[in-house]
Amino acid sequence: MQYRIATLMALALGLLLSFPAAAHHGWSAQDEEIEVSGVVETGVSLSGPHGTMQVRDGDGQLWDITLAPAPRTHRAGLREGTVPVGDEVTVHGQRSADADRHEIKVRRVTWNGQHFDVYPPRRS
Amino acid sequence: MFELLAWVEGTALASFLRGAGVWTYGLINLAHILGIGSLFGAILILDLRLLGVWRTIPLAVIARPTVPLAAGGFLLAVSSGVLMISFNATEYYGNPFLYIKLPAIVFGLLNVIAVQQLPAWRAALAGFETDPVDRRLLAVAGGVSLTIWLTVITCGRMIGYW
Repeated sequence: MQYRIATLMALALGLLLSFPAAAHHGWSAQDEEIEVSGVVETGVSLSGPHGTMQVRDGDGQLWDITLAPAPRTHRAGLREGTVPVGDEVTVHGQRSADADRHEIKVRRVTWNGQHFDVYPPRRS
Repeated sequence: MFELLAWVEGTALASFLRGAGVWTYGLINLAHILGIGSLFGAILILDLRLLGVWRTIPLAVIARPTVPLAAGGFLLAVSSGVLMISFNATEYYGNPFLYIKLPAIVFGLLNVIAVQQLPAWRAALAGFETDPVDRRLLAVAGGVSLTIWLTVITCGRMIGYW
């Protein structure tokens, strides 16, 4: 009986390890990166599972911006209050695969000539 | 439901946590994992025993460490879980995994209460031999428990991916 359980556990572990590194949040995004410029409507928040902000583009569309997890966004230099509400920013990242949602998982925020890379540039 | 989530998000505690530094969420998440680990680890051992594994170890002996560990883990998981939701509770409105998870927790607790009322459970804890009918009854209870808590954990893990 003990061996049978050990075998089962080994099998389960093997199964787990065989999954690709899709382990982190299944953000289903469109493949290519997009760039959105607009005015900061809700400043950077570093509470909760990810940093967030909201940007309104030139067409009046409000975008939900998801940044890296709070400590990582903070380490990239992008802190609460770094970018004032009302300032112009440009964000680079991947838009949610759900076309009805104006939501971008952002890799880089550019403000006032400064780049905040909350994730490293994509290798391509 | 939205009102409840909005209320949780609006509490002074939630607002305090949101302002408490960039590591706060991660640390509460850590407490949640420790709670889940204690709860599910203990439950797994107890339920497998109820299902007939390690039959040579008396149920009373297995129940002694596992039941209080599960209870303590549950309290830790619930309190940290409520705190985690409170950060941005309204964002979970309409999240199907949350809507399955919460009632599943209630069923899990009802199962605990039901099992503790069973004469078979009480007899086994008191160290009496259980007859085959009792054993089958306890095995069913163990299977139900495992199914419920696996559902809770699965839904909990999936909430963030929705």
